[in-house]
Formats: sequence, C-alpha cells, structure tokens
Amino acid sequence: MTTQTPTRTRPSVDEAAHAVRRSLTSEETWMKLAAPVALIVLAIVLGSINPRFLSWPSITSMLADATIPIVLALGATFAVTLAGIDLSLAATVALGSVTLATAYQAGLPLIVCCGIALLTGLAIGAINGTFIGWVRIPDFIVTLGTLSVVMGLSLIISQGKPVQIPERALTAISTANIGGIRVNFLIAIALAIVLHVVLFRTRFGTHLLAVGDNPDAAKAMGLKVPRIKLAGYMICGAMAGVGAIMLTSYIGSSQPATNTDYLLKAIAAVVLGGVSLFGGRATIYGPVIGAILLTFLQSGLTLLGVSAFYSPLMIGIVVIAAATLMRGRK
Amino acid sequence: MTDKIVVENIHKSFGNVDALKGASLTIKAGEITAIVGDNGAGKSTLVKCLTGLYTPDEGEIRIDGEPVRFSSPRDARDKGIETVYQDLALSDQLSVWQNMYMDRELVAGIPGFQFLRRGEMKRRAAELIADLAVNVPGVGRSVKRLSGGQRQAVAIARGVMWAKNMIILDEPTAALGLNETAQVEALIRRVVEGGKTVLVVSHNFEQVKRLSQQVWVMRGGRVVGGTRTEEVSGEQLVGMVTGAVRTV
Repeated sequence: MTTQTPTRTRPSVDEAAHAVRRSLTSEETWMKLAAPVALIVLAIVLGSINPRFLSWPSITSMLADATIPIVLALGATFAVTLAGIDLSLAATVALGSVTLATAYQAGLPLIVCCGIALLTGLAIGAINGTFIGWVRIPDFIVTLGTLSVVMGLSLIISQGKPVQIPERALTAISTANIGGIRVNFLIAIALAIVLHVVLFRTRFGTHLLAVGDNPDAAKAMGLKVPRIKLAGYMICGAMAGVGAIMLTSYIGSSQPATNTDYLLKAIAAVVLGGVSLFGGRATIYGPVIGAILLTFLQSGLTLLGVSAFYSPLMIGIVVIAAATLMRGRK
Repeated sequence: MTDKIVVENIHKSFGNVDALKGASLTIKAGEITAIVGDNGAGKSTLVKCLTGLYTPDEGEIRIDGEPVRFSSPRDARDKGIETVYQDLALSDQLSVWQNMYMDRELVAGIPGFQFLRRGEMKRRAAELIADLAVNVPGVGRSVKRLSGGQRQAVAIARGVMWAKNMIILDEPTAALGLNETAQVEALIRRVVEGGKTVLVVSHNFEQVKRLSQQVWVMRGGRVVGGTRTEEVSGEQLVGMVTGAVRTV
C-alpha cells in the first residue's frame, strides 16, 4: 500500500509473462492440473500397454461406468466446499433406489417414482444440513448417524430384497447413446455444468464458498450460515437421489444394500479434483475428472488382469496420496 | 458539526454480568471519534450493539435523530453502519472483489435465475481501490495473497463502499507493523476527508491522539468521560482509562 496512486510503467507483455511464470510456479495451478494431467498420463500408459483400452467403444463404456461416481462426486463437492463431509452419501443412494422401487410396486408412474428417489435424497440432505447448521453437531458425527439410519431404513423398507423394475424407459438411461456416448454420462455432464454455474455464477455459490472458507467472517458479513449449509447438504442429497435413479436404471432393479465403494470413490474424486478439504476452494471440473480418472484406473487394472480385490486398496492409497499433496493448504 | 449518532443509556447484560451499565456518547458527522478503555471496560460490547451483533437490553441508539433498533448485523448495515472487525471478516480464499461485494453482489436476470455481474463488480471494486489510492495488486487476487496492511485496506475499502452513515474500525492497526500502521492511518484520514464518519476503537493512545478529533473513555461498563482530543494529553488519557484522573 502506498499513499500515492500506484503508477504502472511496466509494459503489459512483461506483465503477462510475469503472470504466466507466477501461475506456473504456484501450488494452486499444479493442484488444478493434477487430475487432468494424471488422467492423460494414465490413458497413454494403459493405451500403450493395450491399444484396445483407447478404442472408442472402450472409452465410452468407461465413461458410462464413471457416471455414478461423477454424480456422487458432484454432491460430495458441495459438502467438502463447506469444509464438511457427507458419509451418508452411498447409503442414501441405496435408500433412494428402495423408495423408487416401493413407489413402483405401488403402481405409481415411473417419472413419479424417480421424483420420489430425488425427494428421498433431498430429505436426507435436509436432515444432515439441519443438524449441522442449526443444531451444530459436527458434520462427521451427523452424517455417520444418518449413514446408519438410512442404511437401516433401506433394509427395513425393502426387507433386504431387491425389486425388479423391467421398464425400458428407465434402462434406456444407461443403455441409449448419442454417437456412442451413453445418455447417463451426458446427464452427469449436464448436471456438472448446471452446478458449475450455481457455484461460480450465483450469489448462493459465492456465499457457499465464503461459509466454507470462514464461517465467522461469513456471519459477520450478514450471511445466514445455517441456511447456506442446509442448501449445500441438500444439493449433496439430491445428487445421491440422482445416483439412485442411475443405479436402478443400470442394474434394472432396486439395490437395498449400501455400496460403500461409492462413498470412497466420491470423496477420492473430490480430493483428486483439487477441492480443498478445509473448505472454501473448489472446482466442478476437478471432481468430474477425478471420478473419470478413478474409473479408468479401475478398468485399466482389470485390463491388466489385476484382481478386482485390489480396487479398494488402490482407491485408498490414491485418497491418502492426494490428501497428502493437499496437506496444510488453506 | 451535527451529531450523526447518539447512544443513550445503553444497558447490556449476559446472565449475571452487566457488560454495559448505561453507556452514552455522541458521534459527530465527518470526523473521527475514538473510544478508549481497558480490557473489560465494555468497548467491544458497545461496538457490537452498534454493529447489530448484540441488541441492547435498554437504552436507545439514534442516527440523525431517528431511533434505530438492530437485531442483526444486516439491520445495522441497512442503516448505513459498516464495521471493519479486528479479524477483518475477510474470506481468504475469495478474491478482493468478491469480498468487497460479499452479500451485496450485483446480479442480472429474473428472480430465481439471477447471475453475478462479475465484470461490473470487478470494475467498480478496482475503481474504488484506485480512488482510495490503496496499492492492492489487482482485485482478482485472493485475499490470502495480500499483506496485513493490504488486507486491512481491503476491509476498510469495503466499509467505505457501503457506509452511508458511519464506519466502525475495531483496533484497525493492532496486527500491523509501523509502516503499515502509518499507511492505514493515512487511509483512514482520506476516508474522513471524503466525508465519512468514523468510529475507532483502539488501545493505542498515541494513535488516538494522532487520528481522532473526539475521544470517549469507558470504564466499568459506562462512558466515564469525553473530550476533544486536542485538549487532552496522552498521559491524561491513560489516567482517565485507569481511573487515576478524575474525568471531565
């Protein structure tokens, strides 16, 4: 700060070069580039081992497999941006598929059944957000509790039995394609674009980042912190609802048992995507690429003949490695 | 000059603790008023009543003669009172312009589909920063990359941007070095020259002497004295704060 008006004498070309150099040496740029660069490197390595890996049918089928991880990573991004976490994410997917199937058995139209799955996710998100925002219980404890509650509810409602849903309109979401690219993947990308706009082009998004960065400062500036947290967790829950619809569409039946793999992958994708675990800094494309990266890695291991039993081991290592890179970054 | 803000007989208790036991003072328009007092004298409670964080149990606050009642920081802001908190209340990872427009973002579009006018906000924030002759390196920078003095300047610039009636500065230079303190004081003077009313809470009597025109002394939850700053020495101020000197 000076007491005079700052003078700018440096030519703009120099300034631009300086800015480029500065951004190349900043940690932040590297964190943003980590997931895309890792994805490209992985694709090249696996492609050179087995050229079939990079064939169009293989790529589109892996992208389709990445759909549910992408959608859940989008949801988890909102919880993590608030410096929180949603452990109930995968359980909510199971409950959503159960409520969808229950509505289907009651003879409700398919579109209403899907709406019910979405509402289920929103409701769980609202419960999480209320306890975290107003009752002020740590996010970890609240969502650990709802994880168990939601898991129990799915088993009670379904009696643990999956329900077949032989509806072509529903399975078409996972099987129909446009130019080889599956519809479910396109839906996930559309959701990502919408959520990018919400996070970076609206007042709510700015407030969400501010609350995640520093809730005290946000409160002092007049932001309604509990309400913003509620909205963030409801978006997270809604994505679990979308995940439930996609899972049911993919399998063709409800899925009452919680697949914890989904939770791990979602959090791993968010961390890989460079979203700060301390809150306040996020991207949307990062977690999307992170989810694709994890799916490619898993498929690549299968391609190399590595047992699927190694998959959780690998995801765990990736999460810790990525989180180590992010340590102390606030 | 006319009284901008009048605080009359404010009481505030927290359980059994009476933090304010009838504090009264006036703040004149277009000058710098200081509040001094020892820890626990009630300064910050009084300030929080003025910023809307606390609602007084008793007493009245008037702005331009009109009684006001704040039940949230938003109420105080709506009445044109801006506060620069000691911890600055900045979101470190957000940019300078995002912080300056926090909760008052400019948007375009129909209700329900309103999008930020980022270009407009960046331009206006940059203009104000230039007007205040503050050397902040670009409004697009995140606040965490700024120095202590620059952060303080951003917080003050935000206050200037929105304060119709008064800016409250809570220990504005407590965390700064000598050089940065001088720069922030120069900025505060420019803000007042621009026609704003400023209330400073400070522990630093030298600073109060340098900056303010009017000083109020608090002790034990009351305002025990007030004087024109030019009529009092630093030593007398210390005496008034500790109770060693009989107050005016």
